Amino acid sequence: MPRLIRAVLAAVAALLLVQPAAHAEAPVVIADGHVDLGPRLVDGRWTLQLRDDTGEGPVWREPADVVLQVADAARTTVPDDPAYAFLGAPGGEVWVLPQVQDQQVVWPGWNTQDPSIAEVVGREVDWRLHGVEGPGRFELFLTGNFGAPETIFSSARPYPQETGVEAGTHVHGNWVFTAPGAYSLDVEMATADGRGDRAVLKVHVGPGDPATAFPTAEPTAPPSGATGARPADGLPWAWIALGGVLVAVAAAALVVRSRRAARRTDV
Amino acid sequence: MRLRAPSRAAASLSAVLLATTACTTAGGGGQDGLSVVTTTEILADLVRNVGGDRVRVDSLVPPGGDPHSYEPTPADAKKVAAADVTFTNHLLLEEQRLIKAIDANAREGTPNVSLAEASETYGAHVIPLVENVGLDVLWLGLRVRGDGKQRGATRSSEVRLTATAVEGPGKVVTYLTESLGKPVVYFDSGDGLSDVDSTTLPPAAHTHLNWAFTAQGTYRLTLRASLLNGGGGEVALGEGTFTFAVGVDPNGIAGTVLDEGHTDLTVDLDTGELYTYNDRAGGTTQEVVPASDAVIEVPNKAITTVPDDPRFAFLGGAGASVHQLPQAVLGKHVHGEIDPHLWQDVRNGRAYAELIRDTLRTADPDGAADYDRNARDYLARLDELDAQVRGIVAAVPRERRHLVTTHDGFGYFASAYEMTVAGFVVPNPAQEPSVEDVRKLTETIRNLEVPAVFMEPNLAQRGSVLTQVAHDQGVQVCLLYGDSFDERTRNYADMMRHNAEEIARCLA
Repeated sequence: MPRLIRAVLAAVAALLLVQPAAHAEAPVVIADGHVDLGPRLVDGRWTLQLRDDTGEGPVWREPADVVLQVADAARTTVPDDPAYAFLGAPGGEVWVLPQVQDQQVVWPGWNTQDPSIAEVVGREVDWRLHGVEGPGRFELFLTGNFGAPETIFSSARPYPQETGVEAGTHVHGNWVFTAPGAYSLDVEMATADGRGDRAVLKVHVGPGDPATAFPTAEPTAPPSGATGARPADGLPWAWIALGGVLVAVAAAALVVRSRRAARRTDV
Repeated sequence: MRLRAPSRAAASLSAVLLATTACTTAGGGGQDGLSVVTTTEILADLVRNVGGDRVRVDSLVPPGGDPHSYEPTPADAKKVAAADVTFTNHLLLEEQRLIKAIDANAREGTPNVSLAEASETYGAHVIPLVENVGLDVLWLGLRVRGDGKQRGATRSSEVRLTATAVEGPGKVVTYLTESLGKPVVYFDSGDGLSDVDSTTLPPAAHTHLNWAFTAQGTYRLTLRASLLNGGGGEVALGEGTFTFAVGVDPNGIAGTVLDEGHTDLTVDLDTGELYTYNDRAGGTTQEVVPASDAVIEVPNKAITTVPDDPRFAFLGGAGASVHQLPQAVLGKHVHGEIDPHLWQDVRNGRAYAELIRDTLRTADPDGAADYDRNARDYLARLDELDAQVRGIVAAVPRERRHLVTTHDGFGYFASAYEMTVAGFVVPNPAQEPSVEDVRKLTETIRNLEVPAVFMEPNLAQRGSVLTQVAHDQGVQVCLLYGDSFDERTRNYADMMRHNAEEIARCLA
């Protein structure tokens, strides 16, 4: 998480004393550092999560709680090389998160290395792309020895698309978006014997506010009967309406912090 | 990487035959015994050993036939339709039309078992199918570990890694091909080593590169690390010398051989040491091997040709051959597919026999006691056979245990009996070798100084390339049974024993 955003969240959390909310979290925006998509067992259930290595120690997050931000530093142009014609016309603008780490942009990969899945994973994990929503095309490919690209997923192809991730591996590829804006990647990781989890990976490309670019999946109001999701008694609801964004941000920070503590694992 | 091949339409021939073949006997164990059809003779032999007198077994692929290319006849469809049980191996072994003929003609309610995958629950060891052997090598990167706080490191510090010495018969070039195809050289010993042969990495960095070597032999690469904290100060860390076995047998060099999975040449900011940090294939834990103890294998299957592209001229002229560990290895396996030649590991043959026993018991419950007794005897013989094969191969010195074959059919044998598949003409016998395949094969034989290559009797016609290369290199051509028997060897146990003895005779 960028330091500035982290600092804002921490400051807001310190100012407001509310109970942690399970819903209405503002997403964690990750704009640099290392993250991986990968399966783990959470309470015994096969769960697709994002491993966030951008803080002091690794934290696994729900994909719904995260937006990957593709900073403008990722903007480049399609080379005049027929091998890359699948990205568009030479000279056209594209946003590339490279296979090899560039300190200026987020570095997303995928791994099947969480120790919790070792006993159930089998030889490989099936990784599927069920759809992409966004203003441009999405391509995920690998750069081989001499620059020959090898496509893994492409929003120009029919869905679902499937590839394999071998057990116990950790891989990075080139993530390319052909226009700025908000992208939702509908992804699934599953085993041959029927375990699976599907989630939406949110990616925001270029200028704009990544945190508000996506519709909130869950209602901002706490569900009826929920305890612990309500602000402390005595707070006027009008205040909530005015300060709703701040509350949501604070709640997110608290939840994130408690998860951080609970989910910290060794590398 | 490739997705599973889509199924082709079933042969119309099979469909017609299905309609015209009457279903006769129901259930087995009658006067004529249980009728079993298998695709190959090897499977038929296993069934005979477990089924004994209670079964009549027919193999569709005739003696000496190649299951990779055998196409079914109308008579085959008839046999399948009359069978009480059918056994196939796996789609990638048998010609697709053969599998389709079986699936379309097997009577409803009769067991139709694909042994390779189903035997996994009986403890069979399964190997994923390799699509690109050039990628089936160690994945080698660079890494920085530790936080280096006691050395004043912060998140904005950098680690400088410099190549200070290379010993070896050729030059070493490490480079990265960037996302959109542009190569960036990190270290290049071709023009001497200087300050330009260095790179800086952030703390906690992890990156992957291409490691190219222009001649075969043993190399020693020395890397020196230092820490750059803000303000211009440079703190010396350590130095380490890493050994690479390029195209030569790594077992001839003292140390721990690193030849699979993922390894990073690693700078430890806390201890100042350089070492290798390793994920073995399929594992979830990492191990450290000190630089001085690590022997990094760059096998002959990593031979690649420099493209006709001026951007890569630093590797040599277009068409030159280099040994190269690639920056990305994803795509080495065909997603979801397995190497079908399981029986080349006798313990897998054992798993097949157990699955056959249970299948026959289900189809013919009256014979259960017979099948149990036969299987018990046969499994005991297979255990002896496994030990025998292991013992014979173990007598061959480790650095001579290289298999060069007609097709990629001996991965299980190599894995079970501690050999290396050094090369083959083509992965699948149905393919034609390219000029590059032949050159790679020639270099493999020459670099490893193998005394013999191995031909399969059923592929004799297709083995002319191997014979020619062997002749040119002055090495012996020996014989291994792969997917079928011949007139001299008529059963599985003899075949496996022959293979072990032939390897010992030709490589010792």
